[in-house]
Amino acid sequence: MKKWLGPLALCLVLGAITHLIVIYSAPPLIMDRAFTMLEKRGTPTHDFELAPRMTPETQSVVRPSPDLAYSICMFDLSQAPNGVQVTMAAYDGYSSLSFFDAQTNNFLTQRGDGEQHQVVLNADNAPSDKGVILIRRLAPSQAAYDTVVGVSSGDECRAL
Amino acid sequence: MRRSFTYLCAAILGIAIGGYSALAMSGLLPDDRRTGGSINLDRWYGDFTMGSEDASPYFRARIARHGLLALANSEAIYFTRAVDDAGEPFRENCKYQISGGPMPARWWSVTLYNSDNFLPSNTDAALSFDASRAEAQSTDGQWTAIISPVKPEGGTSWISSKAAGNFDLTFRLYVPAHGVLDRPEELINAPVIKRLDCEGGQT
Repeated sequence: MKKWLGPLALCLVLGAITHLIVIYSAPPLIMDRAFTMLEKRGTPTHDFELAPRMTPETQSVVRPSPDLAYSICMFDLSQAPNGVQVTMAAYDGYSSLSFFDAQTNNFLTQRGDGEQHQVVLNADNAPSDKGVILIRRLAPSQAAYDTVVGVSSGDECRAL
Repeated sequence: MRRSFTYLCAAILGIAIGGYSALAMSGLLPDDRRTGGSINLDRWYGDFTMGSEDASPYFRARIARHGLLALANSEAIYFTRAVDDAGEPFRENCKYQISGGPMPARWWSVTLYNSDNFLPSNTDAALSFDASRAEAQSTDGQWTAIISPVKPEGGTSWISSKAAGNFDLTFRLYVPAHGVLDRPEELINAPVIKRLDCEGGQT
Protein backbone atom coordinates (compact mmCIF):
# COMPACT_ATOMS: atom_id res chain seq x y z
CA MET A 1 0.00 0.00 0.00
CA LYS A 2 2.75 2.37 0.98
CA LYS A 3 4.44 2.03 -2.40
CA TRP A 4 1.39 3.57 -4.09
CA LEU A 5 1.44 6.73 -1.99
CA GLY A 6 4.14 8.38 -4.10
CA PRO A 7 2.47 7.74 -7.50
CA LEU A 8 -0.93 8.67 -6.06
CA ALA A 9 0.40 11.98 -4.71
CA LEU A 10 2.08 12.72 -8.06
CA CYS A 11 -1.18 11.95 -9.88
CA LEU A 12 -3.18 14.28 -7.63
CA VAL A 13 -0.67 17.13 -7.76
CA LEU A 14 -0.23 17.01 -11.54
CA GLY A 15 -4.01 16.67 -11.97
CA ALA A 16 -4.66 19.78 -9.88
CA ILE A 17 -1.93 21.78 -11.63
CA THR A 18 -3.16 20.77 -15.09
CA HIS A 19 -6.74 21.57 -14.11
CA LEU A 20 -5.82 25.09 -12.99
CA ILE A 21 -3.59 25.75 -16.01
CA VAL A 22 -6.40 24.79 -18.41
CA ILE A 23 -9.05 26.84 -16.56
CA TYR A 24 -7.00 30.00 -16.25
CA SER A 25 -5.36 29.88 -19.66
CA ALA A 26 -8.52 29.20 -21.68
CA PRO A 27 -9.99 32.77 -21.75
CA PRO A 28 -6.76 34.53 -22.86
CA LEU A 29 -6.10 31.78 -25.41
CA ILE A 30 -9.61 32.11 -26.83
CA MET A 31 -9.29 35.91 -26.87
CA ASP A 32 -5.91 35.63 -28.58
CA ARG A 33 -7.46 33.38 -31.20
CA ALA A 34 -10.20 35.98 -31.68
CA PHE A 35 -7.53 38.70 -32.17
CA THR A 36 -5.85 36.57 -34.81
CA MET A 37 -9.14 35.84 -36.56
CA LEU A 38 -10.15 39.52 -36.54
CA GLU A 39 -6.74 40.53 -37.91
CA LYS A 40 -7.10 37.97 -40.70
CA ARG A 41 -10.48 39.49 -41.57
CA GLY A 42 -8.82 42.88 -41.87
CA THR A 43 -10.10 44.42 -38.62
CA PRO A 44 -7.82 47.41 -38.03
CA THR A 45 -5.81 48.25 -34.90
CA HIS A 46 -6.51 51.78 -33.66
CA ASP A 47 -9.29 52.41 -36.15
CA PHE A 48 -12.99 51.57 -36.06
CA GLU A 49 -14.55 49.34 -38.67
CA LEU A 50 -18.31 49.00 -38.99
CA ALA A 51 -19.13 45.34 -39.53
CA PRO A 52 -21.68 44.51 -42.21
CA ARG A 53 -25.18 43.63 -40.95
CA MET A 54 -24.94 40.44 -38.97
CA THR A 55 -26.02 37.47 -41.08
CA PRO A 56 -24.88 33.84 -41.24
CA GLU A 57 -22.45 34.90 -43.98
CA THR A 58 -20.91 37.90 -42.21
CA GLN A 59 -20.66 36.76 -38.57
CA SER A 60 -17.15 36.39 -37.15
CA VAL A 61 -17.61 36.17 -33.36
CA VAL A 62 -19.88 33.70 -31.53
CA ARG A 63 -23.50 34.66 -30.84
CA PRO A 64 -23.76 37.97 -32.68
CA SER A 65 -27.10 39.78 -32.57
CA PRO A 66 -28.59 40.41 -36.02
CA ASP A 67 -30.45 43.39 -34.49
CA LEU A 68 -27.28 45.28 -33.56
CA ALA A 69 -24.70 47.08 -35.70
CA TYR A 70 -21.16 46.48 -34.42
CA SER A 71 -18.18 48.76 -34.90
CA ILE A 72 -14.93 47.21 -33.72
CA CYS A 73 -11.43 48.51 -33.02
CA MET A 74 -8.54 46.48 -31.68
CA PHE A 75 -6.12 48.28 -29.38
CA ASP A 76 -2.51 47.56 -28.52
CA LEU A 77 -1.02 49.94 -25.98
CA SER A 78 2.47 48.59 -26.64
CA GLN A 79 2.14 50.35 -30.02
CA ALA A 80 0.44 53.42 -28.52
CA PRO A 81 2.47 54.43 -25.45
CA ASN A 82 0.57 57.73 -25.10
CA GLY A 83 -2.79 56.01 -25.16
CA VAL A 84 -5.68 55.59 -27.56
CA GLN A 85 -8.39 58.20 -28.04
CA VAL A 86 -11.81 56.65 -28.58
CA THR A 87 -14.91 58.55 -29.69
CA MET A 88 -18.40 57.12 -30.12
CA ALA A 89 -20.53 59.42 -32.30
CA ALA A 90 -24.03 60.31 -31.09
CA TYR A 91 -26.86 57.98 -32.16
CA ASP A 92 -30.56 58.36 -31.49
CA GLY A 93 -31.24 54.68 -30.73
CA TYR A 94 -29.57 52.50 -28.11
CA SER A 95 -25.77 52.58 -28.30
CA SER A 96 -22.88 51.59 -26.05
CA LEU A 97 -19.11 51.81 -26.11
CA SER A 98 -17.49 48.83 -24.40
CA PHE A 99 -13.90 47.82 -23.73
CA PHE A 100 -12.64 44.23 -23.33
CA ASP A 101 -9.24 43.18 -22.01
CA ALA A 102 -7.13 40.15 -22.95
CA GLN A 103 -8.87 38.13 -20.21
CA THR A 104 -12.27 38.75 -21.88
CA ASN A 105 -13.41 41.14 -19.09
CA ASN A 106 -15.69 44.01 -20.07
CA PHE A 107 -13.70 46.50 -17.97
CA LEU A 108 -15.42 49.71 -19.09
CA THR A 109 -18.73 50.57 -20.73
CA GLN A 110 -20.36 53.89 -21.58
CA ARG A 111 -23.96 54.16 -22.74
CA GLY A 112 -24.67 56.53 -25.62
CA ASP A 113 -28.03 58.01 -24.60
CA GLY A 114 -28.05 60.10 -27.77
CA GLU A 115 -24.79 61.84 -27.01
CA GLN A 116 -21.19 61.59 -28.19
CA HIS A 117 -18.80 59.91 -25.76
CA GLN A 118 -15.03 60.12 -25.62
CA VAL A 119 -12.55 58.00 -23.65
CA VAL A 120 -8.75 58.07 -23.56
CA LEU A 121 -7.47 54.57 -22.99
CA ASN A 122 -4.02 54.20 -21.46
CA ALA A 123 -1.97 52.04 -19.08
CA ASP A 124 -3.82 53.55 -16.10
CA ASN A 125 -7.30 52.41 -17.07
CA ALA A 126 -6.65 49.38 -19.28
CA PRO A 127 -5.91 46.07 -17.49
CA SER A 128 -3.97 44.70 -20.48
CA ASP A 129 -1.98 46.06 -23.42
CA LYS A 130 -4.17 44.35 -25.99
CA GLY A 131 -7.93 44.26 -26.22
CA VAL A 132 -11.04 45.03 -28.19
CA ILE A 133 -13.31 48.09 -28.27
CA LEU A 134 -16.85 47.53 -29.45
CA ILE A 135 -19.65 49.96 -30.29
CA ARG A 136 -23.12 48.42 -30.36
CA ARG A 137 -25.98 50.33 -31.96
CA LEU A 138 -29.55 49.08 -32.13
CA ALA A 139 -30.36 48.55 -35.81
CA PRO A 140 -33.01 45.84 -36.30
CA SER A 141 -33.86 46.96 -39.85
CA GLN A 142 -31.92 47.79 -43.02
CA ALA A 143 -33.07 51.42 -42.72
CA ALA A 144 -31.68 51.64 -39.18
CA TYR A 145 -28.42 50.04 -40.30
CA ASP A 146 -28.15 52.56 -43.14
CA THR A 147 -28.48 55.33 -40.54
CA VAL A 148 -25.67 53.72 -38.52
CA VAL A 149 -23.46 53.72 -41.63
CA GLY A 150 -23.70 57.51 -41.71
CA VAL A 151 -23.35 58.00 -37.95
CA SER A 152 -20.37 55.66 -37.60
CA SER A 153 -18.20 57.87 -39.80
CA GLY A 154 -17.93 60.07 -36.71
CA ASP A 155 -16.47 57.25 -34.58
CA GLU A 156 -12.79 57.51 -33.82
CA CYS A 157 -10.16 55.15 -32.45
CA ARG A 158 -6.62 56.45 -32.84
CA ALA A 159 -3.23 56.21 -31.17
CA LEU A 160 -2.17 59.46 -29.50
CA MET B 1 12.66 0.50 -13.87
CA ARG B 2 9.23 -0.73 -12.84
CA ARG B 3 8.97 1.99 -10.22
CA SER B 4 9.75 4.66 -12.82
CA PHE B 5 7.09 3.23 -15.10
CA THR B 6 4.54 3.42 -12.27
CA TYR B 7 5.36 7.07 -11.68
CA LEU B 8 5.16 7.81 -15.40
CA CYS B 9 1.71 6.23 -15.61
CA ALA B 10 0.57 8.17 -12.53
CA ALA B 11 1.79 11.43 -14.08
CA ILE B 12 0.02 10.78 -17.39
CA LEU B 13 -3.17 9.78 -15.57
CA GLY B 14 -3.08 12.91 -13.40
CA ILE B 15 -2.57 15.23 -16.37
CA ALA B 16 -5.35 13.51 -18.30
CA ILE B 17 -7.84 13.68 -15.43
CA GLY B 18 -6.92 17.27 -14.58
CA GLY B 19 -7.19 18.41 -18.19
CA TYR B 20 -10.43 16.57 -18.93
CA SER B 21 -12.13 17.71 -15.73
CA ALA B 22 -11.20 21.34 -16.47
CA LEU B 23 -12.56 21.13 -20.01
CA ALA B 24 -15.75 19.44 -18.82
CA MET B 25 -16.40 21.83 -15.91
CA SER B 26 -15.85 24.93 -18.05
CA GLY B 27 -17.89 23.85 -21.07
CA LEU B 28 -14.90 23.52 -23.38
CA LEU B 29 -15.50 19.97 -24.58
CA PRO B 30 -16.40 19.90 -28.29
CA ASP B 31 -20.02 18.77 -27.80
CA ASP B 32 -20.76 21.01 -24.81
CA ARG B 33 -22.96 23.94 -25.81
CA ARG B 34 -24.34 25.13 -22.51
CA THR B 35 -23.71 28.71 -21.60
CA GLY B 36 -24.94 27.69 -18.16
CA GLY B 37 -25.49 30.06 -15.30
CA SER B 38 -26.75 30.12 -11.76
CA ILE B 39 -30.06 31.87 -12.52
CA ASN B 40 -32.90 29.74 -13.86
CA LEU B 41 -35.99 31.49 -15.24
CA ASP B 42 -38.21 28.63 -16.41
CA ARG B 43 -35.25 26.91 -18.13
CA TRP B 44 -33.68 30.15 -19.37
CA TYR B 45 -30.23 30.06 -17.76
CA GLY B 46 -28.11 33.13 -17.07
CA ASP B 47 -25.37 34.46 -14.83
CA PHE B 48 -25.04 38.12 -14.00
CA THR B 49 -21.26 37.90 -13.55
CA MET B 50 -20.93 37.46 -17.32
CA GLY B 51 -18.30 39.83 -18.73
CA SER B 52 -17.12 40.96 -15.29
CA GLU B 53 -14.07 40.30 -13.17
CA ASP B 54 -16.37 38.66 -10.60
CA ALA B 55 -17.02 35.69 -12.88
CA SER B 56 -15.65 32.39 -11.61
CA PRO B 57 -12.77 31.02 -13.69
CA TYR B 58 -15.04 28.21 -14.87
CA PHE B 59 -17.82 30.54 -16.02
CA ARG B 60 -15.27 32.91 -17.57
CA ALA B 61 -13.84 30.05 -19.66
CA ARG B 62 -17.34 28.92 -20.63
CA ILE B 63 -18.34 32.41 -21.78
CA ALA B 64 -15.06 32.93 -23.64
CA ARG B 65 -16.11 30.04 -25.84
CA HIS B 66 -19.89 30.49 -25.97
CA GLY B 67 -20.39 34.25 -25.57
CA LEU B 68 -17.20 36.19 -26.20
CA LEU B 69 -17.49 40.00 -25.86
CA ALA B 70 -20.63 39.86 -23.72
CA LEU B 71 -21.42 43.05 -21.83
CA ALA B 72 -21.34 43.40 -18.06
CA ASN B 73 -24.69 43.17 -16.27
CA SER B 74 -25.27 46.91 -15.79
CA GLU B 75 -25.61 47.17 -19.57
CA ALA B 76 -27.07 43.83 -20.63
CA ILE B 77 -28.08 40.47 -19.22
CA TYR B 78 -28.26 37.24 -21.17
CA PHE B 79 -30.19 34.00 -20.80
CA THR B 80 -29.96 30.88 -22.94
CA ARG B 81 -32.48 28.10 -23.35
CA ALA B 82 -32.10 24.82 -25.22
CA VAL B 83 -35.38 23.01 -24.40
CA ASP B 84 -39.10 23.64 -24.88
CA ASP B 85 -41.65 23.89 -22.07
CA ALA B 86 -41.87 20.07 -21.95
CA GLY B 87 -38.12 19.81 -21.43
CA GLU B 88 -37.40 18.42 -24.90
CA PRO B 89 -34.35 19.79 -26.81
CA PHE B 90 -35.14 22.24 -29.61
CA ARG B 91 -35.00 20.56 -33.01
CA GLU B 92 -34.98 22.04 -36.46
CA ASN B 93 -37.76 19.75 -37.70
CA CYS B 94 -40.24 20.89 -35.05
CA LYS B 95 -42.49 23.94 -34.90
CA TYR B 96 -42.71 26.02 -31.72
CA GLN B 97 -44.70 28.97 -30.50
CA ILE B 98 -42.80 31.51 -28.39
CA SER B 99 -44.77 34.17 -26.56
CA GLY B 100 -44.44 36.72 -23.83
CA GLY B 101 -45.28 40.18 -22.61
CA PRO B 102 -43.52 43.41 -21.72
CA MET B 103 -39.94 43.03 -20.49
CA PRO B 104 -38.22 45.11 -17.79
CA ALA B 105 -35.53 46.55 -20.05
CA ARG B 106 -34.99 49.34 -22.56
CA TRP B 107 -34.71 46.79 -25.37
CA TRP B 108 -34.80 42.99 -25.59
CA SER B 109 -34.47 40.26 -28.20
CA VAL B 110 -34.60 36.50 -28.68
CA THR B 111 -32.09 35.07 -31.19
CA LEU B 112 -31.63 31.54 -32.52
CA TYR B 113 -28.16 29.91 -32.71
CA ASN B 114 -26.91 26.54 -33.92
CA SER B 115 -24.79 24.12 -31.89
CA ASP B 116 -21.61 25.97 -32.93
CA ASN B 117 -22.88 29.17 -31.26
CA PHE B 118 -23.40 30.88 -34.62
CA LEU B 119 -26.44 32.03 -36.59
CA PRO B 120 -27.58 29.04 -38.66
CA SER B 121 -26.66 29.08 -42.32
CA ASN B 122 -29.86 30.15 -44.05
CA THR B 123 -30.94 33.19 -46.06
CA ASP B 124 -34.34 33.70 -44.39
CA ALA B 125 -33.29 36.94 -42.63
CA ALA B 126 -35.51 35.88 -39.73
CA LEU B 127 -33.20 34.78 -36.92
CA SER B 128 -34.52 36.94 -34.11
CA PHE B 129 -37.55 38.61 -32.59
CA ASP B 130 -37.12 41.84 -30.66
CA ALA B 131 -38.93 44.57 -28.75
CA SER B 132 -39.51 46.67 -31.88
CA ARG B 133 -41.35 43.78 -33.56
CA ALA B 134 -43.33 43.12 -30.36
CA GLU B 135 -44.41 46.78 -30.28
CA ALA B 136 -45.64 46.44 -33.85
CA GLN B 137 -47.82 43.45 -32.85
CA SER B 138 -49.90 44.95 -30.04
CA THR B 139 -50.31 47.92 -27.80
CA ASP B 140 -50.43 45.98 -24.53
CA GLY B 141 -46.97 44.44 -24.98
CA GLN B 142 -48.21 40.87 -25.53
CA TRP B 143 -46.44 39.15 -28.42
CA THR B 144 -46.06 35.79 -30.10
CA ALA B 145 -43.89 34.30 -32.85
CA ILE B 146 -43.42 30.95 -34.56
CA ILE B 147 -40.09 29.12 -34.64
CA SER B 148 -39.98 26.76 -37.61
CA PRO B 149 -37.84 25.89 -40.65
CA VAL B 150 -40.54 27.14 -43.05
CA LYS B 151 -42.20 30.55 -42.97
CA PRO B 152 -45.70 30.28 -41.46
CA GLU B 153 -48.69 31.49 -43.44
CA GLY B 154 -50.69 34.57 -42.60
CA GLY B 155 -47.90 37.00 -41.82
CA THR B 156 -47.18 35.58 -38.37
CA SER B 157 -43.91 36.73 -36.83
CA TRP B 158 -41.26 34.14 -37.53
CA ILE B 159 -37.89 32.95 -36.29
CA SER B 160 -36.37 30.60 -38.85
CA SER B 161 -34.79 27.35 -37.63
CA LYS B 162 -33.83 26.26 -41.14
CA ALA B 163 -30.40 24.53 -41.15
CA ALA B 164 -30.17 25.04 -37.37
CA GLY B 165 -30.07 21.37 -36.28
CA ASN B 166 -30.38 21.17 -32.52
CA PHE B 167 -30.52 24.87 -31.72
CA ASP B 168 -30.83 27.13 -28.71
CA LEU B 169 -32.14 30.61 -28.05
CA THR B 170 -30.47 33.59 -26.41
CA PHE B 171 -32.69 36.12 -24.63
CA ARG B 172 -31.00 39.53 -24.26
CA LEU B 173 -32.23 42.36 -22.07
CA TYR B 174 -30.40 45.64 -22.64
CA VAL B 175 -30.34 48.23 -19.86
CA PRO B 176 -32.30 46.13 -17.36
CA ALA B 177 -34.77 48.03 -15.20
CA HIS B 178 -34.05 48.93 -11.59
CA GLY B 179 -34.25 45.87 -9.34
CA VAL B 180 -33.88 43.25 -12.10
CA LEU B 181 -30.34 42.32 -11.08
CA ASP B 182 -31.50 41.72 -7.49
CA ARG B 183 -34.84 40.03 -8.17
CA PRO B 184 -34.78 38.56 -11.70
CA GLU B 185 -37.23 35.75 -10.93
CA GLU B 186 -39.75 38.28 -9.65
CA LEU B 187 -39.38 40.95 -12.33
CA ILE B 188 -38.68 39.04 -15.55
CA ASN B 189 -41.61 37.20 -17.06
CA ALA B 190 -39.46 35.08 -19.39
CA PRO B 191 -40.88 33.96 -22.76
CA VAL B 192 -42.69 30.60 -22.84
CA ILE B 193 -42.05 28.13 -25.64
CA LYS B 194 -44.59 25.53 -26.62
CA ARG B 195 -43.88 22.81 -29.15
CA LEU B 196 -46.73 22.65 -31.69
CA ASP B 197 -45.73 19.72 -33.90
CA CYS B 198 -42.81 17.98 -35.56
CA GLU B 199 -42.11 16.74 -39.05
CA GLY B 200 -43.08 13.07 -39.22
CA GLY B 201 -45.89 13.46 -36.69
CA GLN B 202 -43.81 13.57 -33.53
CA THR B 203 -45.07 16.01 -30.91
